[in-house]
Amino acid sequence: MADRLAAAAALVEDLVGERADGWDLAGELPEPVLRELGAAGVLCGQVGPEHGGLGLSSLDGGELTARAGSLCSSVRSVMTSHGMAAWAVRRLGDRDQQRALLPLLTSGRLAAVAFSEPDAGSDLSAIGARVERAGDEVVLTGEKVWVTAAHYADLILVVARDGDDAAVVVVPRSAPGVHVERVPNPVGCRAAGHAGVRLDAVRVPADAVLGGGGQPLPLVVTTALSYGRMSVAWGCAGILRACLRAATAHVAERRQFGRPLIDHQLVARRVAELYVAEQVATRACEHASRRWDAGAPDVVTAAVLAKHVGAGQAAAGAASAVQLLASRGSQDGTVVARAYRDAKLMEIIEGTTEVCQVLLAQHAMTSAR
Amino acid sequence: MNDESQAVVVADQPATAEPVEQALLEFLRTRLKTEVDPAQDLFGSGLVSSLFAMELVVHLEQSFGIAVVGRDLRLDNFRSVRSMSALVHRLQDVAGGG
Repeated sequence: MADRLAAAAALVEDLVGERADGWDLAGELPEPVLRELGAAGVLCGQVGPEHGGLGLSSLDGGELTARAGSLCSSVRSVMTSHGMAAWAVRRLGDRDQQRALLPLLTSGRLAAVAFSEPDAGSDLSAIGARVERAGDEVVLTGEKVWVTAAHYADLILVVARDGDDAAVVVVPRSAPGVHVERVPNPVGCRAAGHAGVRLDAVRVPADAVLGGGGQPLPLVVTTALSYGRMSVAWGCAGILRACLRAATAHVAERRQFGRPLIDHQLVARRVAELYVAEQVATRACEHASRRWDAGAPDVVTAAVLAKHVGAGQAAAGAASAVQLLASRGSQDGTVVARAYRDAKLMEIIEGTTEVCQVLLAQHAMTSAR
Repeated sequence: MNDESQAVVVADQPATAEPVEQALLEFLRTRLKTEVDPAQDLFGSGLVSSLFAMELVVHLEQSFGIAVVGRDLRLDNFRSVRSMSALVHRLQDVAGGG
């Protein structure tokens, strides 16, 4: 497993390298890079070898995610969305669907998961997209917003109402009635391909409904989001590593008032805080991944905690890194400016800071008494 | 005589004698800090948050060595301790008898 992780990390390093700032400025990732990462199993590292995947543990998959996140949060966001799609298939899909879909997701086809709607953001219980049965087919109607990676995806997994319950429907982007429109100028992860997806009476075969549908909405949402939160959390650890690297290099080299910046104590304090932030985020991620790998029920809460800690630390840490680099980090096209914008978005997606806090408070009220 | 009296005891307490139900009731007592009835609708009574629903699924998998995926992830399978117990037995039979 260590070999597979090392090889995957080397591929990410090779394909992404120092190109992320250019991709960020262009607002576009090169499709061949995503296809190659997908075909190597990197975009959903926990899928097993029986489906063409790397079979990484959550802990190793997390390290890989952090590695990607330290180079490019847009690539990492595609990993999050694609990985969440694979996880939804593994969890919500039947064996036949797993056998049919997972090999596609480890061979270069790209997938995204569509939750949010114009009137259903933090409150996903308000989802209005609907799936209706029509013989051997189902008909899907609705509007999704801010679907990460939808711009690149071949398959879009749509979370919809199915009677009183919910269903996740696997929709080919090429199906008639699927309209994908990019979110213009997102503040962060600018090349992640966020898009709105409109579904105008889209007809797909009934076997495109994972597990036949009829699954409880809270369970469907929490299942998919738990993977997404782990992935975002590790991505945040990656953002902090990138900031720490850029900041330490700068304060060692840059001289003001006759000495290196690091010899100024107010500067040194920021470096210490950045180091603490990276360590705290990583420890929260490691804890959640170990619970995931142990199959422990408290993984659900641990994932929320890791995401919340990671996003908060990354947002504060990236802001501090910009402060340290000052004029050298105040322009798009620099690592810390990109980190600053990307980290802000991490406090919003996969459960806002406030939603995470409400979930953690609910947990505290039953577990800590 | 002995056999007969034992049979009566079992028939009198079918719910409390069931080990899967017992383990689930204990788990819910610990996690929710409240007593629940084996037949109580956990979702309808507002006891179960979305996070806890997922926690329940993982708990069933870890405690009873089953995988609850696909078509088994239906609310009716999780509605009460009794329905979860039935799910566990069914999945254990499938795994054991396969």
